[in-house]
Amino acid sequence: MHSVLQRGNAIFAYALSVLACLTFVCFASTVFLNYRTQADMRTVNVVVKNVPDYSASREKNDLGFLTFDLQTDLTHLFNWNVKQLFLYLTAEYETANNKLNQVVLWDKIILRGENAVLDFKNANTKYYFWDDGNGLKGNKNITLTLSWNIIPNAGFLPNIFAHGSHSFKFPVEYTTSRM
Amino acid sequence: MDFFKSIPTHMDFEGQARAEYLSRVIILLFAAVGLVWGYIIQQFSQTVYILGAGFALAALLTIPPWPMYRRKPLNWQKVKSTGESNSTESNKKAKRK
Repeated sequence: MHSVLQRGNAIFAYALSVLACLTFVCFASTVFLNYRTQADMRTVNVVVKNVPDYSASREKNDLGFLTFDLQTDLTHLFNWNVKQLFLYLTAEYETANNKLNQVVLWDKIILRGENAVLDFKNANTKYYFWDDGNGLKGNKNITLTLSWNIIPNAGFLPNIFAHGSHSFKFPVEYTTSRM
Repeated sequence: MDFFKSIPTHMDFEGQARAEYLSRVIILLFAAVGLVWGYIIQQFSQTVYILGAGFALAALLTIPPWPMYRRKPLNWQKVKSTGESNSTESNKKAKRK
């Protein structure tokens, strides 16, 4: 014969099992969705400097500065299994030192319910665009891409690449003036 | 302490079965409604809250030993007295039953 505590325990365990099933249904209803979408970006001002990188070796390295425009609408990415988006803007390029360089220049967190229609004009980067040598000056093919992590209630943490990218080149001369 | 011991917590066997069945029906019903509603408004938190309400209702209805779970008590045999003097008498009573 069950006591009060045993009955309570049985109900609680059963409710938790049901909750696990509901969470799985939520996950299963969104796992095959396509979260890619179009994002338009382009650079406005691009300069490159040759300055000492005191955070590393104190040698003079290339430091890129750029401002960018970014337009995208991510509203439709939010559903009941998306808590927030973590956007990040990456620059990819090839140098003599490295076959592939990837530098995150800017990022943004969009919580659910916040405005997800992005329209940035002439925005500054958040993080320094350091090269580990002199690979930026005169580099003809730097590609900007926008990506995002989807932070879900339950399930995978996918890394999505936006459709659309922008390629630009750095000037062949260092800028020495203050900006 | 005597006060707590005086609170009845007992269900009979059939009441126990009814309580368990009822609790599962209630929780599953709220889970189904919560799932549909949460999907419609695309808010999984609402699904969880509705399931929580179902849990609370099931707990209220099936944890306390309400009278509906005590309708078919077991008919226990009378306690046999083990005293030598009236052992024959009690045996006779048992046979008579």
